[in-house]
Amino acid sequence: MSYLQLLGLVAPETIVVITALVVLGLDLLILREQPLRHRFWMGAAFAAFGCVLAAAWLLFINSPTHPAGEVSGALPLLRGMFVDDGLVRLVKVALLGLTVFTIAISMESSFTGHVGEYLALILLATVGMMFLVSAEDILMIFISLELTSLSLYILTAFNKRNVKSAEAALKYFLFGGMSAAFTLFGLSLVYGLSGSTGLREIAAKLEQPALDPLLVAAIVMTVIGFGFKVAAVPFHLWAPDAYQGAPTPSAAFIASGSKVASFFVFAKVMMLGFAHAGGSGSWHAYAPGWLPVLAVVAVASMLLGNLAAIAQSNVKRLLAYSAIAHGGYALLGILANGPSGVTSLVYYVVTYGLTVLGAFGVVGLVEERAGEARISDFAGLGRREPLLAFCMMIFMLSLAGIPPLAGFFGKFYVFTAAVGGAKDLGLLWLVIFAIAMSAVSLYYYLQVLKQIYVVPVSAESGSLGAPISSRIVLAVIAFGVVALGCAPDFLVGRLLAAIKLAAL
Amino acid sequence: MVDSQQLREYVPVLILAAVAIAFAFGTLALSVVVGKWANRSRRTGHSTRVKDIAYECGMIPVGDGSSRLSVKFYLVAMLFILFDIEVVFLYPWAVVYKSMLVDHANLIFGSMLTFLGILFVGYIYALKKRAFEWKS
Amino acid sequence: MDVTLEHYLVVSGVLFSLGLLGVIMRRNLLVIYMCLELMLNAANLALVAMSRYNGNLDGQIMVFFIITVAAAEVAVGLALIVALYRRRQTAHVEDLTSLKS
Repeated sequence: MSYLQLLGLVAPETIVVITALVVLGLDLLILREQPLRHRFWMGAAFAAFGCVLAAAWLLFINSPTHPAGEVSGALPLLRGMFVDDGLVRLVKVALLGLTVFTIAISMESSFTGHVGEYLALILLATVGMMFLVSAEDILMIFISLELTSLSLYILTAFNKRNVKSAEAALKYFLFGGMSAAFTLFGLSLVYGLSGSTGLREIAAKLEQPALDPLLVAAIVMTVIGFGFKVAAVPFHLWAPDAYQGAPTPSAAFIASGSKVASFFVFAKVMMLGFAHAGGSGSWHAYAPGWLPVLAVVAVASMLLGNLAAIAQSNVKRLLAYSAIAHGGYALLGILANGPSGVTSLVYYVVTYGLTVLGAFGVVGLVEERAGEARISDFAGLGRREPLLAFCMMIFMLSLAGIPPLAGFFGKFYVFTAAVGGAKDLGLLWLVIFAIAMSAVSLYYYLQVLKQIYVVPVSAESGSLGAPISSRIVLAVIAFGVVALGCAPDFLVGRLLAAIKLAAL
Repeated sequence: MVDSQQLREYVPVLILAAVAIAFAFGTLALSVVVGKWANRSRRTGHSTRVKDIAYECGMIPVGDGSSRLSVKFYLVAMLFILFDIEVVFLYPWAVVYKSMLVDHANLIFGSMLTFLGILFVGYIYALKKRAFEWKS
Repeated sequence: MDVTLEHYLVVSGVLFSLGLLGVIMRRNLLVIYMCLELMLNAANLALVAMSRYNGNLDGQIMVFFIITVAAAEVAVGLALIVALYRRRQTAHVEDLTSLKS
């Protein structure tokens, strides 16, 4: 096997890496003297072009038609280090799409003068996520997880003028570093027990039904590590601070792209690696394993996320707590522990990522004008900015799960998968709880909408003066949310077709 | 493959977490207790200022313990760590280089070339950003 | 006395717990970073010991990468401390209180 073959296999990632380096160099060497806006536009256009190119490659070139297992047979050097199948490709395309939107909503922002670095870091984080999605080996999982996280820490600290930014980044970094250590220690125990680093081999070697205490420790530590990453209670403490302090586009990226990748790999580690240590979280048929652990985490996330969100006065913090709650719903997809679970999980996190990206886009525009993003800063937005207000309404209602928006179908699929996933409707208690909690969540989303449409405009606040490009991007995202809700089959059909081949 | 019988023998390892935490907390508690006991002498008048300095005997420390350093030190330290640690990958690469050269010549060469290429871009970046200039 | 896998794992477990305690209890950010490194190195020790026990090199390869990643993490962490210090003149966690609802 030659090196060019290897590069061809990871061509989309290579494209994104090269784009990142070129954007960095372009900004440093050529665009240096230009005005900031010009630099941002040029850099963003180039970065987005690279992402689109990579996505096109993923969609149209060398589409894999065989199950994942056979690929590793053809390329023995890679043994699960890099898996390339239809499902993985779909998730990667979704990730690239979220990246393009993130770049688009940050195009007009003025929080940083280091345009090249900012865009390059977004692209490098994307590369980390793409490798993360492809990885079926604990070494690759760890490295790509760290590549993603390290980029995101710096993106969080990017607003040098704001004191809160560095503080948020430090908190994010400390919790993230701790979670990395936990993940690593857990995975090292798994390696010790199985003698292998590939998830499929690990599962094959941990087949005996009795749970080894060391394996229990390994599972708990791994869950703790990934729990930090997806901000599930009780490992959520960093999320509100990081979301509030980070520049809004960075926060949007943390909430969307990194969530998608983390949840996907979380599901993969649990379902593939610990396939025989699931146990059961059903109401009357409790059995030790990772399922009951995750069930407890999911309940705690939904409960605390939704209740704490009610008390928030800052919209970014509100979105952070709502993200914690949504993490709880998404965990139901992992709890379903099967192909339908993965399908629903991917649909859920992708649509959630898109919606929350749009919501952060609107919040960012309001924040730019008002200096902060308190709920009261949204007062009268319906009069001042009809288009943006309408977009925000779509995002909020989608997050609350109102049909026919994407958020409703996401929840619907996850809940049905969870009900069907366990024997004798064992997880029904969890689903009923989730539905009750999402009814609670409607309250705080409507609080925001009430400010936008009902509370009268104060005299001095006029239009936001938002640039036309941001309006177009947000309208496109809102359209996407509606379209994915009206025609969920567009994504779900592809996911189902891909998952049949993926053998997950 | 390890069989479960063998693994059972390593179950005590699991207890390590408990032992470790107990040990750590125990040490902390001990230090509080011992500290109280040592400070007792202060009330009886046996303590002197000498007891409170960093090294109770030997050298007399000069100046403040936490002197301020220029941020440049940290910057250089960071760059040093980053470029220094990459050698870790060169060693194993050099070890297998000859044997790999027979069948996978361009794989072994290309991968290191890419690695060093990216490293070089990083170096150029640091250079252009004037991270190596001490005076600023 | 023979030194077995058990001993290595006990040491690595103790190191990990001490690191965790340090992260939770210490106030100085630089010391917290050191404790984070201690946690990662505990995992490294476990990996090397288990690699020897399992009779393959996968674990040691992982250690190589972890060392590099840890270095990158330190660089990012130091950069963040410097950024914070320039704004706030502090490197203590109890001063990180500007983010509230």
